[in-house]
Amino acid sequence: MIRADIVKLYKTVHTWTGVTCGFALFIAFYAGALTMFQEPIARWASPPAVGVAAVPLDDAPRLLELVAAAHPEAREEGITLHLWGHENEPARVTWEEDAPHQEGQAHEHVHWWATLKPDGTLLAKHEEPSELADFINHIHMRVGVPEPWGSYFMGVVSLLYGVALISGVIVLLPSLMKDLFALRVGKNLKRMWLDAHNVVGIAVLPFHIAMAITATALSFSHELWSVQETVIFGGKQAILDNRDNEPYRAPKPIGEAAAMMAPSQLLQKLKVQVPDFEPRFMIFKNIGDKAASVRVPGAERGYVGDTHLGGVMLSAVTGELLKDSTRPSRQDPDRRASETFYGLHAGQYEGATITWAYFFLGLSGAWLFYSGNLLWIETRRRKARKGGEAEQSRSTRLLGSATVGVCLGCVAGISVTIVAAKWLHGTVADLNHWHELIYYAVFLGSVTWAFAWGAARAVVHLLWLCAAATMAIPLTTLIALLSPALGMWAHGSAATIGVDVVAFIGALCFAWMAIATARRVKHGPADSIWSIRKPNAVPDGSPVPAE
Amino acid sequence: MPGDIRPDWWSKASAGAILGFGLALSLVGLYAYLGPGGINAPGGRYSLMRYLEAFVWIAVFGFCFLFRSGRAAWAWLGAANLIAFAVLFACRFYFFA
Repeated sequence: MIRADIVKLYKTVHTWTGVTCGFALFIAFYAGALTMFQEPIARWASPPAVGVAAVPLDDAPRLLELVAAAHPEAREEGITLHLWGHENEPARVTWEEDAPHQEGQAHEHVHWWATLKPDGTLLAKHEEPSELADFINHIHMRVGVPEPWGSYFMGVVSLLYGVALISGVIVLLPSLMKDLFALRVGKNLKRMWLDAHNVVGIAVLPFHIAMAITATALSFSHELWSVQETVIFGGKQAILDNRDNEPYRAPKPIGEAAAMMAPSQLLQKLKVQVPDFEPRFMIFKNIGDKAASVRVPGAERGYVGDTHLGGVMLSAVTGELLKDSTRPSRQDPDRRASETFYGLHAGQYEGATITWAYFFLGLSGAWLFYSGNLLWIETRRRKARKGGEAEQSRSTRLLGSATVGVCLGCVAGISVTIVAAKWLHGTVADLNHWHELIYYAVFLGSVTWAFAWGAARAVVHLLWLCAAATMAIPLTTLIALLSPALGMWAHGSAATIGVDVVAFIGALCFAWMAIATARRVKHGPADSIWSIRKPNAVPDGSPVPAE
Repeated sequence: MPGDIRPDWWSKASAGAILGFGLALSLVGLYAYLGPGGINAPGGRYSLMRYLEAFVWIAVFGFCFLFRSGRAAWAWLGAANLIAFAVLFACRFYFFA
């Protein structure tokens, strides 16, 4: 049995790690849950384009040839041929070129797409794709803190999150059997919230352990890498790294012309040589040269992991397998273990069940941190009341405001910036920049609002804001459908309609929470930070009009 | 563990954060040298090592409050670090140099 003094000590550890990291973890988990549907969100936000279907796969050889002839940089750096026909693939063929920059300096990329005109000539345009889904992923990884501080910050947060998990389990262990399956719904609201916090925390513990370890490793990735190099490998890592990148390097052009094999034929050749491989897209290099190659990233049936890393390389002339050591079944055991860890973080099992499970696990995690903060506040209140104080202490009120402002500001900010993808498209020059501005404006505005009005009032306002902003997602699609003159779009694919449906249900949940919270604010215990009533002279529980 | 456990927040937490990281690095470093394939194993190893380091770091940090005092935490973890780094550097500069 665990001694009482150890439990008491770890209760303090759990409280402080939890309260200091709760905000950042809420944002990381909420945005992280949404990134499970990064692809559908990217498709939802992509304006209608020429599309992949405009050029059948059989006409792709001509298109590739024309692009390679007109854009030598793309020929050398790689031309991507899309296969799926999703809304976020603007055309059959895309590529990136370096924006004008000083030699050796960091620079932007210009995105191009190309298609064939009806007369068979080339139509190439540069157009920036929507980066909305990537931006949500950035919020998930760095909670909006600029690099490199965002990585350091989230690394520390993830580390403390691991400590919070260990301490939380130690605190719960002595009473585990008694408390675990007891969700005491009833008058004692704090007891009920604590029971719920415990049951969610324990039931989802394996997920959280995996997240704490992988998030710490991924946030500190660069730092761990260079420390490993200095302390452990002593220069060897660079050599190994170079060897590791070899499978991704295309053969050098030899300057001899050759006929290219058609992509459809290449795919057939690939299927014969690697039957279980599922190609995502194809990247052609040095088209027209005898040493032309095509790299095909993709997943392999039966293996988890990052599909962008795994793949094969074929000769674009003969279709023969050139490099085949990065697809999952050929990876060395350490790489496989590493990829499995990454798969555990990203929920990459290429199946809808796990994607949805991770979505709900992510949301439950966000709820865990929100409820954790509320429990701390509630405990403070009880302690203060025992001490005979009628008012909440300043720190309790500030933490309440911060919890409400940060958590709900993140939710509302993401919803508003998603909606902006359709409304602002074509009306502003740099929509991807606007996505960031809008998110930060709503987020900081919500935090300010929460501090100005206090947690009790602001929580209701902000929950309604969340509900309205989230409801605006399906409404925008509906408006686009009803009045095409606005220049917005409503895609018909199941994935994009799914975004609208999930947003609709989410908005209803926020509205329900707003109504329930409004009730508590009016009728709950008056000395709580969740009350707008004056605490003195009012007996607990009796209905009084709001001031 | 007989006797009362002292909180010693800052000394224990710093031991967990600093010496926990040291222990993570040195123990996982030993895996790099002594694991299957040795130090020249294919490149997946140093990618995997990040996760293993995070695991050890979190575990040491999380459980370091069990030490009776901050002084004990620094002493035990410091000794563990010394031994682990000594073996690691013996591997790097002597056995597998």
